[in-house]
Amino acid sequence: MDHKVYILVVEDELEVMDALVKDLEKFEPFFPIETANTAKEAKEVIDYVLDHGHTIGLILCDHVLPGKNGVDLLIELQSDPHTSISKKVLVTGQAGQDDTILAINKADLDHYISKPWTEEELEMVVRDELTDFIIEQGKDLLSYMQILDAEKLSEAMRKKKMTDH
Amino acid sequence: MKALSRQTIAILLGVLGFIIPFFVHIPGLSEAGHVALSIFIIAAVFWMLEPVPIYATSILVILLQVFFLSKQGILFPENSATYIPNSYTDFIGTLANPIIILFLGGFVLADAAVKFDLDKNLTRILLKPFGSSPKFIILGLMLVTGLLSAFMSNTATTAMMMTVILPIIAKTDLDDPMRIGLALSIPFAANIGGIATPIGTPPNAVVIGALSTQGIDIAFTEWMVLAVPLVLIILGFSWILLLLLFKPKTGLVPMDLKGSFQKSGSALFVYVVFAATVLLWITESLHGVGSSIVALIPVAALSLTGILNKDDIRQLPWEVLWLVAGGISLGISMESTGLAEWIITSIEWSAFSALFMIIAFSLVAIIMSNFLSNTVSATLLIPLAVSLATSGVAGEGFSLILISLVIGVSASLAMMLPISTPPNAIAMSTGSLKTKHMTRAGFAIGIFGLLIVTLYALFYWPLILN
Repeated sequence: MDHKVYILVVEDELEVMDALVKDLEKFEPFFPIETANTAKEAKEVIDYVLDHGHTIGLILCDHVLPGKNGVDLLIELQSDPHTSISKKVLVTGQAGQDDTILAINKADLDHYISKPWTEEELEMVVRDELTDFIIEQGKDLLSYMQILDAEKLSEAMRKKKMTDH
Repeated sequence: MKALSRQTIAILLGVLGFIIPFFVHIPGLSEAGHVALSIFIIAAVFWMLEPVPIYATSILVILLQVFFLSKQGILFPENSATYIPNSYTDFIGTLANPIIILFLGGFVLADAAVKFDLDKNLTRILLKPFGSSPKFIILGLMLVTGLLSAFMSNTATTAMMMTVILPIIAKTDLDDPMRIGLALSIPFAANIGGIATPIGTPPNAVVIGALSTQGIDIAFTEWMVLAVPLVLIILGFSWILLLLLFKPKTGLVPMDLKGSFQKSGSALFVYVVFAATVLLWITESLHGVGSSIVALIPVAALSLTGILNKDDIRQLPWEVLWLVAGGISLGISMESTGLAEWIITSIEWSAFSALFMIIAFSLVAIIMSNFLSNTVSATLLIPLAVSLATSGVAGEGFSLILISLVIGVSASLAMMLPISTPPNAIAMSTGSLKTKHMTRAGFAIGIFGLLIVTLYALFYWPLILN
């Protein structure tokens, strides 16, 4: 797999970041995880990943960050075709209603996880979002059957008119 | 970088193989035969090592034939004593070979069925009578998979059936061997079911296409009469085998398939067209209208009504049609240049009995298609079989149709490895089983298949064909 699909976690609090990454461990062999503490760092990481021919499949983003906040970062990423395709999830306890509405309308937010989250909840959201990403981007579905929603991937294969050879 | 160099080596090998016959004189082989050999070598190398997609190799084959072997090409503008060149239209015309049109009809039908969930709803209805005991659920799954894959692609059928069995597997205990049995039952049944009708899977098309260039036309029903009994026996064997190898622990399988038939006007029209087409196909012996001609009905009916729209037409699996057409085209030149006969006569066939040759061709086809595409395996073997039969070197009792069937059927009986067929790859990707499970069960089916094909070729098929 030369072209990898990355998960990006943007979070400034160290303990929270550790907890998130730990809960995402099972995805790591299929989706390498990158982390960033600020919006600025997130942009650098994204540029690095894209420059190497990979894609960002999922961005898990905290709202309150030093400097530019999470919602503004997601809105900015939505305007770039390389990251507008990425699934965007806000993981926060502190985004107000206005910010959240902004994120939904302008960043095409895919999911909102409120802190504290449960491992099952996070896993389910990540699995669903990545499954959609893989199907939408026409990736090789078979290589993700084990980790993502296999039923949904099979259904996508059915619709894709796969043939014998 | 490693992958790239492997690809480059394969391309170099193919090109080198292509060039050699231009400079080395092979006694007993005509000049055109040398060129055909060149094309055969590059095609075989490319098909086997796949430096380029297999359909691209097929397109290359047609191009090379048009350029080097056709009357309009650069090497053989005139008839000679050893080679009467084909018109280039013979080679490009393979794309409109009746079997290709038949496949086109099958594609369009399958496409419409998936669009309106006919495949899923049929599965739901057909599985009902099989209750909830694991034994019979697996039997039901295999029969339904076999039935659908006889009319749709084996791969698409497998993908659809995965959506049925994955929820069952998820609810089954991790240490219950039934998980493995279930995961294997679908691809195996799909591989086997594809044998049942001419449109079931591309190797069948290769066989029928090769026979049609020899002036032998096999009717849809005739193929089914020849193939269905064999399919049922191998399906039955596979069912018992999977139950024995992976004995279910649970006594009850939760099965709740939801859904309902779509009832829009378009959906109803699709049901009617589907039923009518299949009915006309399987009653060919009654009305005598060829299956390829019938195949035009769904293509026309569905596009006239807009059910098959521009995008649907673009998305049809055209590459499969190119793949098969290239195979048929290669066979034409191997015949007309005398290449196939040269290959055949270099072996002393009269020393072998018909029985030996049936077993040999079946075994080689099964082994080859375990590692190569089933279609490619059939394509590479069929021209040899055709010459063997038409040149008469094989002696009495060696029938062209018989040996072609042996090859076609055997090419679909390879299921030992994840790479053997796309359905196998899908089952493997679920992570419910290990390769050794597939290899063990697939090996047993291969051996049993070899035995059954041999018995059929000796006793049953001659009965039907004569």
